[in-house]
Amino acid sequence: MRTRPINCIIPPYILDKLLESPDSDIRQAALDTLLTTARLRGERAVRASIAGAAATPGDGRRTVFDCDGAASLRGAALARTEDGPASSDTAVNQAFDGLGVIRDFYQEVFHRNSIDDQGMRLDGYVHFDVQFNNAFWDGQQMVFGDGDGQEFSNLAGSLDVNGHEVTHGVTENTAGLEYHNQSGALNESISDVFGSLVKQWKLKQTAEEADWQIGADVWTPGITGDALRSLKAPGQAYNNPQFGKDPQPDRMSKFIHLPDTPRGDSGGVHINSGIPNKAFYLAAVGIGGFAWEGAGRIWYDALRASTADATFQDFADTTYQKAGDLFGVGSSEQAAVLAAWAGVEVQISGVPKARAFAVSGNGAVGREDGLAALSRQLGELNAKVSGLARDIAALKGST
Amino acid sequence: MKVTLETYGGLAAAVRRRPQTLDTSTLPETDAAELTRLVTTAEATPPPTGSDGLARDAMTYAITVEDNGGTTVLEQSDPTMTPAFAALLRWLKTHSAPR
Ligand SMILES: [Zn+2]
Repeated sequence: MRTRPINCIIPPYILDKLLESPDSDIRQAALDTLLTTARLRGERAVRASIAGAAATPGDGRRTVFDCDGAASLRGAALARTEDGPASSDTAVNQAFDGLGVIRDFYQEVFHRNSIDDQGMRLDGYVHFDVQFNNAFWDGQQMVFGDGDGQEFSNLAGSLDVNGHEVTHGVTENTAGLEYHNQSGALNESISDVFGSLVKQWKLKQTAEEADWQIGADVWTPGITGDALRSLKAPGQAYNNPQFGKDPQPDRMSKFIHLPDTPRGDSGGVHINSGIPNKAFYLAAVGIGGFAWEGAGRIWYDALRASTADATFQDFADTTYQKAGDLFGVGSSEQAAVLAAWAGVEVQISGVPKARAFAVSGNGAVGREDGLAALSRQLGELNAKVSGLARDIAALKGST
Repeated sequence: MKVTLETYGGLAAAVRRRPQTLDTSTLPETDAAELTRLVTTAEATPPPTGSDGLARDAMTYAITVEDNGGTTVLEQSDPTMTPAFAALLRWLKTHSAPR
């Protein structure tokens, strides 16, 4: 477990000073803040212990089928079941193991029982088509190609690709983000975010340690480039003669407008996902520690609270609100979310721009500029004191 | 007859993919006959109706057929394509020159 000595909006040493204030109203406000923070801390600890105890093996029984090169799921042969023996086929076992890790990840981290939270079966299909450089989710199951061996290798062997596809199912069962334009790019981003988190969780990597790549193991050794996508550096995942340069934008001013057609990638859903991907990365690194414990929980709750037509702005606002719900309004986590979205040029609605200005574009997110943070905290303290003074006056008036 | 295959979409939709073109006039006679037969069948088969639109990261394939009579574009996606389209697609994929 990571430790976080400062978790409330006003540093404890300032609160201690305020407790010594000759002004009784200020003393009361400081005491109130300390009590609230302590209570929130207690709730977080309780929540975590409940989630841990409830993480018993869930449903989500796995079945893997072998398409044997057919471009159709009909007629695929049963290759491995939840309780059956391992297969002699590597791709079958890779898909089976990957689905297991993803199922456990959702169960243990988010207390989610499979894709639909009701124990939905996890069906994977491998060896789909020949020279098939792709993996997809068809609304019910995950489908993996073998790759052509020249550019793409077997896709079932990539844990983050597995996680990406399963997460399409989770999104379908929660926000149901429409698969075009901004909501579609959010849909894609959610799959990349949780696909990456699955891998980080498996490897027990902190946000700093993770590679933040999708499909790093998908290119064959003959292809130069790191991965299909990078959440840390959208637009820099690859640059080679075969595939050109990674076109993903990493901020709103670089948003790419494409037609809402198959040829236009439904409005660039796999392109503009770079923007919310980068926001997640910035939030995770800003919060620090294991990304699934902080930013991951915020994004998961925001996904469940979002509507199908959510825009980047809508989703950003929801993450900010959920960060407040989970970690406290004005918490460092919430400040990190604010700064993360500012880092991709999305300003949270109703929050003055000045509060989130201390953001560098590339990796180094300030929690908040010190002066801006202090002035905000003092403003909130002032509001508290004024409110308390009113309450006291009302009490006096009523006796 | 010229037949061009374009592939787009999919998990790696952002990567650039070059169209692949085959010309029956440059193919061996048996291959040209086979390709013509596959194209004729695919053109005559109605596309799948009412895709539920749920597939995520599906690939879409556009096959453009240029003939004396004009240009026809067939466009279908995984995993809902007709067997006739799938047969033509597979033939094109396996007979195109390596990139
Ligand atoms: Zn996807």
